[in-house]
Amino acid sequence: MAKSKSESPAMKLATAQEAVGARVTVAARAGVRKELWLALLYMAPALLLFLAFTYVPFFRSIWLSLNVTDPTGEISRFNGIDYYARVLNLDGSGRSEYLKSILTTVYFSLMVVPAGIVVAVALAVMAAVKLRGISLFRTIFTSTVAISVASASVIWALIYNPGIKMTAWLVDLLGLKTQGVLLDPATALPAVAFMTIWSNLGFNFIIVLAGIQAIPQDFYDSSRIDGASGWTTFRYITLPLLTPTLMFLVIITTINAFQAFTQFNVLIANEGPNGSTNVMVFSLFNAFFINNRYGFASAIAVVLFVVLLVLSLVQFKLIERRVHYQ
Amino acid sequence: MSVQTYASTTQPAIFKRSPMDTVKKAVLYILLSAAALALLFPLIFSLSLSLQGPTLAPNLVPDFSNLDWDAFPRAFRQAPLLGRWILNSFVVSIAVTLGQLITSALAAYALSNLRFKGKNLFFFLFLGTLMIPFEATLIPNYLTIVGLNWKDSYLGLVTPFLASGFGIFLLRQYFLTIPRELYEAAILDGCGHFRYLWSILLPLSRPALGTLAVYAFLNTYNQYYWPLLVTDSPEWRTTQVGITAFKSSEVTLYNMQMAGTLIVMIPTLVLLVIGQKQLVQGLTSGAVKG
Repeated sequence: MAKSKSESPAMKLATAQEAVGARVTVAARAGVRKELWLALLYMAPALLLFLAFTYVPFFRSIWLSLNVTDPTGEISRFNGIDYYARVLNLDGSGRSEYLKSILTTVYFSLMVVPAGIVVAVALAVMAAVKLRGISLFRTIFTSTVAISVASASVIWALIYNPGIKMTAWLVDLLGLKTQGVLLDPATALPAVAFMTIWSNLGFNFIIVLAGIQAIPQDFYDSSRIDGASGWTTFRYITLPLLTPTLMFLVIITTINAFQAFTQFNVLIANEGPNGSTNVMVFSLFNAFFINNRYGFASAIAVVLFVVLLVLSLVQFKLIERRVHYQ
Repeated sequence: MSVQTYASTTQPAIFKRSPMDTVKKAVLYILLSAAALALLFPLIFSLSLSLQGPTLAPNLVPDFSNLDWDAFPRAFRQAPLLGRWILNSFVVSIAVTLGQLITSALAAYALSNLRFKGKNLFFFLFLGTLMIPFEATLIPNYLTIVGLNWKDSYLGLVTPFLASGFGIFLLRQYFLTIPRELYEAAILDGCGHFRYLWSILLPLSRPALGTLAVYAFLNTYNQYYWPLLVTDSPEWRTTQVGITAFKSSEVTLYNMQMAGTLIVMIPTLVLLVIGQKQLVQGLTSGAVKG
């Protein structure tokens, strides 16, 4: 296939593999036609499933978002882009709760992503040292990856419960309102974010540790010979060589933060005090599942898709650049 | 106490590759232990609560002379469906895992070993599914399940997840590392495609299959959103939806809530311990490789 600028890394990989596989026997080349049917047969289960549960629903979401639906999901009339105007507050109604919901999602990501990565780097730097018993610590630091967000939310709901005296001293210490951090508009979103950071730590730790372990030992050896201090080594060797991993992590955890739903539904279960925790995915859930406004909810879903698509494309670009560097 | 506070003080001790002196080692162990303790706090908290009996004012540290282990068996009696939820979660997770292994292996075989026109297009079609988030297909999929009358059934819980773009990509990459000479020799000897896949390729690909299996099982077991939508009656709930309903139901006793939560966590924690290598491979594939 022709080389073009729009080729994605995945495509490049595929064409590279093709080139390697070019040392193909004459017999195999003659079978290309026959193998198309065989290939379709082998791919059929996955293709049909993706068609039924990914591609068709995806385009149906877009179509639904342009229509008004009845409570059973049947389209009752064409609506154009009115719902998008409503979500983005371009309809002149002045009611900006959906735009605010997008902003809340952004705030939530800003609370979760940088802190989550900083803590993970700190843990991974410690756990990268070869020490007796270090694998036990690595397992502990990894553990939250196996704990579902739902279970974690049930536990954190009690940790945040002001009625339980075991955490009361902490509430006093921090001067928080005694009605509970989840009921105070100032602390509800940070509280959910804090729990989410904890919940993400296992995954972040795994990624950062793998990134650190991929750094060749020679770099550290030469830096030691040069007499560099621990901090200098971290600042000028570990951190720069870890940057691609961290960029990947920024994107992937931002995408996850934008999709966070479980903890909001379990810990808060509504829009939160003064709507302070009404993130996009929750307002989607409200419109979709509580109010059965399928068309409108689809518009929120499509807006979310566009945001996540942009983030994914940035990620692909980063991966591509990393390939060039190596 | 926040875990972040450890960050600034740790690095100096670490990068000395010369034999670390005892003091530095001790400091590192203390920091590691403190971090581990902080990280495990929610689990310790829940265990502590579940052992204190039906009190409404539990303490941070339980009375060790009077531990009440009864909450664990009582959770099953108080919520008779807990066993059923665990069964549901296992059935759904195993079905999805097997399904993904089968559909991914078949598609990956076509993409790695067969030669046909438009291979790149199909590869893109599979990878493209990774760009479409759950939320963007959620509403039509829900309407489909309702239309098929698949609410409150394993069909509704399992079917939408039987194919995985990640799984296809992972297995394709692994299949490509297996020498093509093997394939050509096998086919020349009259070995059929399916037999080659089943008795040669798959046994050689155990690491990748293990990675996909652990990853798929964990993700499915921990699902919350989809089971919440497609199950109405309590006996069709999965563990994740069940325990959150547990929380808001009449069973407000803290010890039971926490015992129930810990019980449903056990399968994935066991999986983490025995399948850590596979899990780490699954999560890092694509992340650190260039």
